[in-house]
Amino acid sequence: MTAIEIGRLLRAGTTGFVVGCRVSQLDAPSFGGLVRAPLGDGQQVYGLIHDIHIDEDGIVRQLVTADQVDENIIADNRVNRNVPVEISVLTVGYAQNGQIKHLLPPRPPLSLDVIYQCSADDLMAFTGTGRFGYFRHLLRSKDAPIGEMIAAHIEQASQAHNAAGNEQWTQDAMSELITLLRDDYPTLMAVLGALGDAMMISDY
Amino acid sequence: MALDFQQVRQQVIEMGENAPLRAQYLREKRDKALEILHEYAAELEALSAKVNAAISANPNLRCAIPKDENLNHHRACPALPEKATLLAADGSQINPDRHASVDYCLVNVGAIQMQYGEADSPVTTVRSQLFYDEQMYIGGGRISERMVALMRDLRERTLLADLAKDVESPVITLTDGPLELWVGREGALEAREYEKRFKEYLGALRELHLLGVSTAGYIDRPRGDLLVRLLEIATLPTDELDKAGREHRPYRGIADADLFNFLLKPGERSTVFGIQSRNADKYTAELALHFFYLNVGRDDVHPYPVRVEIPAWVASDAQKLDDLHAILVQQCQVLGSRTYPYLLHRSHEVAVVTQDEKKQVENMIALELHRRGVEFGGESQKQGTKDDSGYTGRNRR
Repeated sequence: MTAIEIGRLLRAGTTGFVVGCRVSQLDAPSFGGLVRAPLGDGQQVYGLIHDIHIDEDGIVRQLVTADQVDENIIADNRVNRNVPVEISVLTVGYAQNGQIKHLLPPRPPLSLDVIYQCSADDLMAFTGTGRFGYFRHLLRSKDAPIGEMIAAHIEQASQAHNAAGNEQWTQDAMSELITLLRDDYPTLMAVLGALGDAMMISDY
Repeated sequence: MALDFQQVRQQVIEMGENAPLRAQYLREKRDKALEILHEYAAELEALSAKVNAAISANPNLRCAIPKDENLNHHRACPALPEKATLLAADGSQINPDRHASVDYCLVNVGAIQMQYGEADSPVTTVRSQLFYDEQMYIGGGRISERMVALMRDLRERTLLADLAKDVESPVITLTDGPLELWVGREGALEAREYEKRFKEYLGALRELHLLGVSTAGYIDRPRGDLLVRLLEIATLPTDELDKAGREHRPYRGIADADLFNFLLKPGERSTVFGIQSRNADKYTAELALHFFYLNVGRDDVHPYPVRVEIPAWVASDAQKLDDLHAILVQQCQVLGSRTYPYLLHRSHEVAVVTQDEKKQVENMIALELHRRGVEFGGESQKQGTKDDSGYTGRNRR
């Protein structure tokens, strides 16, 4: 299966990175989605999308004041114009020669490295490794809406695992979250509340 | 020492004190000019005869030439064509700069093509041309900024002619600024080179004509006074026509647009005028230059007349004129309160060379020369000193 490219790296740190892409490339990435950045030498960094930011510019600001905007003008702005779209990613682990680790990577990806959306197999491989060690990166995040991000991630990962016949994964993930957040009641409630909404939406 | 704001402030105060008087003076002049316009609106033959007589006395005369319709004729915005291919081009340049680290100049032209009436994304095209070595000289001297500007204008027009060959009719091409090229008073060698490029420019215009393509130059916030000059001629006694455009300038300071603020409703265009100028006779037959004013303002309270220059083959074709009129009004509505044609703005975005890009080009050239072991002078001491002190200077593009 062809890997889906979502953009290229704009800037990065050890705990996260920002991907730039065109508006027209925005079909693939979704909030809470797992992405990967191959570094070469058999390494790749994994991250979870926690923010998708679409900047304005002067022309877009003018266009929204028009009575109506034609389809070809919208297409021009999405396909041709350099309207900046930034996808913020929280680093959650890396792989070295195929071995997945839920640790921060030795180095972040570099400018203009291509970032790919993880396939269902990638998602199951990453989330099925170990004992949910990557949850601590999510729970430590200060900038991300933790409850919503975890709920979106678990919903996507559950779908992949359930489709593969592994319905136990969701139960294990929830148990682990409750254990990790047993001393942080407000965050636990936020996470469980968002998870409840997500499960209802997906008719779980 | 930077700008002395104390000195400027004093002059600003004096300017402000004089402003109400000046505004009143210009209002009276404008009202009088409007009266003359209506008075002579239908006297087309007599006016043409007067203009011809004035040209005999002063071949450099600049003014509007009345055509078939009354001077105060105005036409409402016609229906849009069902389909049309719209092409807009713009250009920018990096001028030769003897203080820069490497010796070069660059012309960049960009175009955008849109199918009006279809949802497809527009297509953009960019053509960049670097000039260096012997190309930096014309005859015995260095290439001038004026010549680079001419090459930019020429390339805009040839790009439009190239792109217009393979697209669906009807085709409307737009550029920003007049169709009439500015002609300076050059030395003999530069004049010869200019003439050569100018012929190529006319050739590109002719090609557009042969393709049946409409073409127009769009002048935003025009300060031209070709019609006002015609009104001045209208009021001159026949035996004083030699004073036209010289000592007889009673309405100097009034622009045509000041009159059309009151003559055109939103979306309306004026009648089509011919152009009399020192160089207008170089645009012959189907290329003869014409213009009309168009009110692209959104409502009666905020009129915004612009000037549109067109060649004779568009001026004489009622359908082409209507399509151009309707498309320009539609294009000026795309950006909401900014009533400027969307495609012209986009062609500017496609073509513009930013200061950062200029730096990158210079670095590319410097690296290439360095890689090949070629000595180059580096930037001048003057430029280096300015850079060191954070001098912003004027924007050299």
